[in-house]
Amino acid sequence: MVIILFAILLTSWNNTEMSISALVDGAGSMREYIAGNPEIADSGFFPPSFIPSDIQMYVVAMIETLEMALIALFFSILVAIPLSLLASRNILMILLPSDTPFTRTLRGGIYLSASLVANVFRSINEIIWALFFVSAVGLGPMAGILALGIHTAGVLCKLLAEGNEAIDPGPVEALSATGAGFLKVIVYAVVPQTMPHFISMVLYRFESDVRSASILGFVGAGGIGFYLFDKIRSFENADVTTIIIIIVVAVWLIDKLSAVIRKKFI
Amino acid sequence: MIELNNVSLGYNKKPVLNNLDLHISKGEFVGIIGLSGAGKSTLLMSLIGNIQILSGRYNVIGYQLGTISKKHLKELRTRIGFIFQGYNLVDRLNVLHNIMSGMLGQMSLSRALIKWYGRQELAKGYKYMQTVDISECARQRCDELSGGQRQRVAIARALAQEPDILLADEPVAALDPKSAAQVMDILQTINRQYGVTIIANLHHLDFARKYCSRILGIADGDIIFDGLPEELAQRDLDRIYKIKNTETCDEDMEEIDISHLMDAARIRPKRLKKVLKHEQESVKV
Repeated sequence: MVIILFAILLTSWNNTEMSISALVDGAGSMREYIAGNPEIADSGFFPPSFIPSDIQMYVVAMIETLEMALIALFFSILVAIPLSLLASRNILMILLPSDTPFTRTLRGGIYLSASLVANVFRSINEIIWALFFVSAVGLGPMAGILALGIHTAGVLCKLLAEGNEAIDPGPVEALSATGAGFLKVIVYAVVPQTMPHFISMVLYRFESDVRSASILGFVGAGGIGFYLFDKIRSFENADVTTIIIIIVVAVWLIDKLSAVIRKKFI
Repeated sequence: MIELNNVSLGYNKKPVLNNLDLHISKGEFVGIIGLSGAGKSTLLMSLIGNIQILSGRYNVIGYQLGTISKKHLKELRTRIGFIFQGYNLVDRLNVLHNIMSGMLGQMSLSRALIKWYGRQELAKGYKYMQTVDISECARQRCDELSGGQRQRVAIARALAQEPDILLADEPVAALDPKSAAQVMDILQTINRQYGVTIIANLHHLDFARKYCSRILGIADGDIIFDGLPEELAQRDLDRIYKIKNTETCDEDMEEIDISHLMDAARIRPKRLKKVLKHEQESVKV
């Protein structure tokens, strides 16, 4: 087993033309790129540029990015919750409990279609979705929101469905035995059990969405990514550093905030 | 109240219990004893319509199981309480919510969704909390309670249904002797005070003898004893628990259908057979 894994790893290493010497040889070029051309001002990454009006512009763009991620998350939750219920085998057993060939086929069919939809949403990268939506609604944050939302809906669906399938079936059995219907069983026996998992996953996806949203600007889909891409293309690398610092600080703050929220709910 | 005429029950058209004739009237406290796998749980689950009825007439509080519609089955279930060995409470909800969830069958969907209870419902909830002596823990989360306390919450949840029949599947098997006696005492009170018919699977013969008004002994899918606790003689027990008859036990072990176990554990069949074989060998040694 270990030998096979090692063989796969080795083959992959060779096929992708990985080489340590290339990195060592090329280290000089990287140093040059980071240091920049001494004849052109601000072409090096250090020191970061510090022009208050520019920083204000970047922060506003960062806030726009956060807003994009937030709305995208909201839409993706709306889609992912019902979709994840349909993509969980145990939940389908509550919805269609009888054991006839017809209901078995129906359950299988619903499960497959829900998983398939989620898979398609998820496997297509945000950038690709953004290209589609930019062509539909034009440049700007809305294309980015739709792209993020649809991709995140797919990811959340998979994550939430895994949470749903991991619940203790006991309470579900008990409440079904009292004659409670599908939605009541979901609210009383499923939601309380999946809540901590749900909160963690949603917070994690918010952080991922902020990171993704910050490069969606590359294809004209709004947010701080627009400036990032613009500065990279025009070799104004000191500004690139400033923008990266703003993104890192934003993600760090979200991480701290998530920890606080998570503690409250779990 | 419960009337079985020549009923056979089973899974996937394979009978587990054969040709049962059984009549249980209101107010009885019936204890079912027998080996694991004899069909005790199957009999209990069949009462709430969870088991396929292969033949015969099966009447519970006026409902004909087997031909029952989905709507009527829900109605029937609201009138039957069920207590499980593993309590089956929602651990992250507090005691009150768990108890109120017993009334879900009667509650309107919109109120259930926001967990909003009426004054009368709450009064009922507190009354049953007092019956099982758990009111001081009303706002505590269920994962903070001991096993005995949890089973009492589960009983209060079943009572909140205001059931005609209370089914208990090994209600005290996981409890220490003191908590177990307390739970059995509560069941007896419910049986006598509220006149609720109780049917319980019991591992402890002493409990069955002490608390039940009638005992059913099940072995190999047949009811082989049906009578008062005092009438239960040693030779009945020998037949129920198959004492001095180890060969048949071995045969049973091989015949157990393990397919659902494999699904549950998602273990490859080959590997599971290996594990089972290993276990059987270690038992023989």
